[in-house]
Amino acid sequence: MKTRINPEDVLRIVDKHNDSQGAVISILEDVQAMYNYLPEAALKIISHRTGRSLVDLFGVATFYSSFSLEPRGRHIASVCMGTACHVRGSPKILANFERDLRVKAGQTSDDGEFSLSTVNCLGACALGPVAVIDGDYYRNVKDSDVSGILDRASRINGALRIPDDERVFAVNVSCPNCNRSLMNDEYLLDGYPMVRVTASFGRKHGWMRLSSLYGDYRIRSEYQIPKGVIVHFFCPRCHAELRSGRLCPDCDAPTILLLVRGGGTIQLCSRRGCKQHLLDLGA
Amino acid sequence: MPRLSSLAELQLLRRRIRDSVSKSKPRITVCAGTACQASGANDVQRIVKRHLLEHDLVDRIGLRITGCHGFCEMGPFVVTEPGGMFYPKIGIHDVPAIVSAALSGEPAEYLLYRDSVTGTVCKCMDEIPFFSKQQRTLLSRNQRLDPIRLFDYLADGGYEALAKVLSGFAPEAIIDEIRRSGLRGRGGAGFHTSEKWDMARRQAGDVKYVVCNADEGDPGAYMDRSILEGNPHSVIEGMIIGGIAIGATEGFVFVRHEYPLAIKHVLIALRLAREFGLLGMDILGTGIDFDISIVKSAGAFVCGEETALIRTIEGMVGEPRQRPPFPTERGVNGKPTCINNVETWANVPIVIAQGGDAYAHVGTETSKGTKVFSVVGKVKHTGLVEVPMGTTIKEIVYEIGGGPQDGGKIKAVQIGGPSGGCIPHRRFDLPIDYDSLSQAGAIMGSGGMIVMDQGTCMVDVAKYFMSFLKDESCGKCFTCRKGTQRMWELLDDITEGKGTLAHLDLLETLGKTVAETSMCGLGQSAANPVLSTLRYFRAEYERHIIDLRCDAFVCENLTGAPCQAACPVGTEAWRYAALIARGEYDAAYRVIREANTFPSVCARVCDHRCEQHCRLLTTGHDPLALRALKRFVTDRSDPAAYKPERRDDPVAASMRVAVVGSGPAGLTAAHNLSLRGYKTTVFEADDQPGGLLTSGIPTFRLPREVVQKEIDALIDENITLLCSITLGSDFTVDDLFRDGFDAVFLAVGAHESWRMDIPGEDMAGVYPSMEFLKAWNLRGESLAVGNVGVIGGGNSALDAARVALRQKDVTGVTIFYRRTRQEMPAFEEEIQGALEEGIKLETLATPIELHGENGHITAGEFVVNELGDVDGSGRRRPVKKLGSEYKVPLDTLIVAISEAASEIGAAHSTGLEMRDGTITVDKRTLSTGRPGVFAGGDVVTGPNTVIDAIAAGKRAAQVIDLYLRERDVAVPAEPILPRVYVEPAVSEPAHDVPATRASMPTLPTEQRHKSFIEIEGTFSEEAATREASRCLRCDLEFTRPPQARPSLARSRGGDA
Repeated sequence: MKTRINPEDVLRIVDKHNDSQGAVISILEDVQAMYNYLPEAALKIISHRTGRSLVDLFGVATFYSSFSLEPRGRHIASVCMGTACHVRGSPKILANFERDLRVKAGQTSDDGEFSLSTVNCLGACALGPVAVIDGDYYRNVKDSDVSGILDRASRINGALRIPDDERVFAVNVSCPNCNRSLMNDEYLLDGYPMVRVTASFGRKHGWMRLSSLYGDYRIRSEYQIPKGVIVHFFCPRCHAELRSGRLCPDCDAPTILLLVRGGGTIQLCSRRGCKQHLLDLGA
Repeated sequence: MPRLSSLAELQLLRRRIRDSVSKSKPRITVCAGTACQASGANDVQRIVKRHLLEHDLVDRIGLRITGCHGFCEMGPFVVTEPGGMFYPKIGIHDVPAIVSAALSGEPAEYLLYRDSVTGTVCKCMDEIPFFSKQQRTLLSRNQRLDPIRLFDYLADGGYEALAKVLSGFAPEAIIDEIRRSGLRGRGGAGFHTSEKWDMARRQAGDVKYVVCNADEGDPGAYMDRSILEGNPHSVIEGMIIGGIAIGATEGFVFVRHEYPLAIKHVLIALRLAREFGLLGMDILGTGIDFDISIVKSAGAFVCGEETALIRTIEGMVGEPRQRPPFPTERGVNGKPTCINNVETWANVPIVIAQGGDAYAHVGTETSKGTKVFSVVGKVKHTGLVEVPMGTTIKEIVYEIGGGPQDGGKIKAVQIGGPSGGCIPHRRFDLPIDYDSLSQAGAIMGSGGMIVMDQGTCMVDVAKYFMSFLKDESCGKCFTCRKGTQRMWELLDDITEGKGTLAHLDLLETLGKTVAETSMCGLGQSAANPVLSTLRYFRAEYERHIIDLRCDAFVCENLTGAPCQAACPVGTEAWRYAALIARGEYDAAYRVIREANTFPSVCARVCDHRCEQHCRLLTTGHDPLALRALKRFVTDRSDPAAYKPERRDDPVAASMRVAVVGSGPAGLTAAHNLSLRGYKTTVFEADDQPGGLLTSGIPTFRLPREVVQKEIDALIDENITLLCSITLGSDFTVDDLFRDGFDAVFLAVGAHESWRMDIPGEDMAGVYPSMEFLKAWNLRGESLAVGNVGVIGGGNSALDAARVALRQKDVTGVTIFYRRTRQEMPAFEEEIQGALEEGIKLETLATPIELHGENGHITAGEFVVNELGDVDGSGRRRPVKKLGSEYKVPLDTLIVAISEAASEIGAAHSTGLEMRDGTITVDKRTLSTGRPGVFAGGDVVTGPNTVIDAIAAGKRAAQVIDLYLRERDVAVPAEPILPRVYVEPAVSEPAHDVPATRASMPTLPTEQRHKSFIEIEGTFSEEAATREASRCLRCDLEFTRPPQARPSLARSRGGDA
């Protein structure tokens, strides 16, 4: 499982943090977020750019438990070993994860699907024993729950995709500048009109349609938009840019603002691939 | 929104925000702290939004998404205004009803919180004991604001403290205000905040820093997370004030990467504060510059230590360094740095806004204000709890926390994380403040309070912390690096059954050495979990070392299969279940009989601790019905067919042993002595053998012929049985020795009912339960007539009640018990059976006087009890309610409050000391103070179970054998581990076993009327096989031969 490193990506991360306090840890975190682990090639680039010796970087990378020098699985399962979880039986829960995945804590399954780890405390002590898989918390886990949790985690990708799931519902939006509807009745997705905007990135400028289902990230667009690119959104009617003036708390990209029919606004991150969004019905 | 450039503009904005909030508009508040999110709060939030949009309600009802309210156990929950109605554990389908309720102002009652004890509906938060008994200065702010909205914080009085400071406080005046408040650090050691600030302020130099330590590493504590997630501006405001006080221009929030939501909310708050001119250059036009950035920790416990934290902020490996110099002198980048934790910073705006003197009104002499604790572990209501300093542990755990979980018994709390210690139940009156905790061997730490019950092993807890510390020790100090490792190994030895008493001394010495020779707090306090558990729970360590038993069933190699370990006679319950599944019933009977002299009796009346510890329970299923399976096997086997091996031993044959009492303890001892070759004489006071098996337990639970058959099978030619001869009146222990007996085993039982000591107790119609039961069981005399009352809640009360109901002149039976139904010590099956048969149960009732005519009882006078304080047994004490006296007409009253040995029968005639009607013996050897005299069964323990009596009998035979051979009677213990491999009936135990157990057939209630026919039936063969197959086979971990190990775990389907 050799990961291809794009030196430019790594350098961009280094340059983003290099001046700030505690830069190295932030750099390593971002690099790990990109590659799922810390490839040696990336550490060499970081060392070169920051002037910190490679041995020093390895020291930091091995000292902190969140860094991994080995590739990790597609899913990360962590079992909380905090005191409250311990007294409620987390060692048995961990043993069940180990048995089901056929790995020990700290290892990755042969098929590369799951990495299993322990964490000293997740701070969800009231709900122990707790396990987290890909950011989803599972509370009061019992021995017999483990198989089901793993099955579920290997099936879902986080997004809600089932149109008949009650939690998925269509939102009717309009332009905050001209107040005209952005709903495009001719293009339906799962039977719902899509939201039409004009999108611009790099030198490309064309139409784009967003799913109007809340929590659904599907889009259609005139041009292929690469992951990570920041897109400018415009109203197709009045051509005003749909900016909220706020930055995304997850990725720092600008967020866009749409009015919601019925009251409130919706804010979306403008970076392709970032799922940050907020349906705000007012205070 | 324009940047605010003066204090006046801030106040104007605040007024505008407050004016714009409609007081009358209903509101739904959804708690979306991490715990509630884990329980489904995000789905609730989504559905509320959907509902409001689709029903055009956005303008009519407000929605607020907040951080943690603290009652995490109840998540996801919502609160609606007006009225503060609290809806716990809701699902998405409950949303429409709650929205309509909020609009109409009438609560959706069926969804409201119900008190877990009384069952009463609590309409609003203030009626819920969990909330009403707290003082939620910090936490109540969480529920009033959406952490991503600065305006919510401003409306709630946010940045008012900052405004106060900026309107003319000199730095010294700020520090003075803090000093007068008495605020001490909430992160661990409790250093005075004002002193720390003052030291930092006095340092020369332009560049200084403040740091918020949010590397909340103590496992079990999460209040810092909740504050950062739920109210980030309060921390920011505190830090700005601190920065101004010490003259810093920059601050860092050092936060764990495991807290993504906290990081996000702090980031949003920092941006908003900057945007509004509350942070950054020229704060509110005052010319003061101060900004804050976030530094993420990457997962290392030691980074919570301040010098290690500084190195992490600097981007280095987080190893601590020697102090002094303290961070206030040389901190981040070598500059003076003031480090406080999240909760401390969040308290700062409160201190400034209230004034230091007002703040100091709350708390104790040395510890001021409130403290947030995370009350977690084996407690009913887990969550975050905020109380004034000085509140007792008992109040927190019982009144707020609701007491034990699932009917358990709380034995300790662990306070203060890995540097803290365990406080035992008997010290729960301890008021919590910095000083009393450290005197008790714990520390305040960050406020983690982990409740532990009988299912928590204290040695395992110590080992857990040591494992944590050895992993987290940075390794810089040799003593900490190796010392924690070595202490862990010693503890591991003990949990593996390889410990010696010398291990304990070594642990103590090593612990002290590590504490004295380590540089930072981690090593200095590393021994605390060991030392505090040794101090309060040494007996538990000794039990592991001497008896090789873990009574919490946690240490695997001392537990084996829990069913077997739980059985006082060590019955291989897993083994007979496995054999039943295979259809090998004769083999199953042999397994049962080898361990137990009275298998058919125990198949009916055992309290089956094997079932209470069955691992199926941990999976949320019913335990295996082991008693019923035993019944199935014993019903198909004749006790006489089993011929145990008897030793021919000339030495033993020349000795004679006297056994006094022919109950299960006495007969078991006599039988086992006979198998060892001894001649035994059994002396029985009643006219037939069996003790309580025949005289106490009614026939509808235990038919007489069943007992008789088993007794007949036990008595062989080595045993002489003499009936109607009573110790005390007919002979004494001295007589026995004079008659040539070489050893005596006293197993006379506890036949003397305790008295209530109330007026009227000696009237006719009032009977001690033992007298009542014996009259019926031995002589067929019906003593009960008319309206019968029974006092007590144990098995003998239930037996008496059920016998009385069946007697011909009885019209009705009521049991009066002074505590609640949950606390009745009788078997649940018996209580259930009694209620089915029509017996009335009156709880929380204590008799105070009996009334009568012509010397015969006519009525009982009772008083109603309320539940008071928690007593030593961990139960709430019944307290008589004044003026609640009431009379109940009664023709018969049976008193069954407890039993003791007959004083005349034992004390005078044995020359032994008695305490509370029992004989004192060495628990392990059953030796009394007198050589050659041993005692066991109820006469030692007080009223107890059949199986414990059998176990005492077995132990007695073993020690008497050793005594007569002049060997050491202290038998070295062996761990009870499964040793025999029984091939599973199906090759791989089924993964999806049925969650519910097979139910035992019982006699229909209508056929039980005035009938003494046995109530319980037996399994069909099919039911027995099915039930036996539910066993998880814990034994296989210990017995499976290598070639029988499963080759592959089951494959996983559905991968994307």
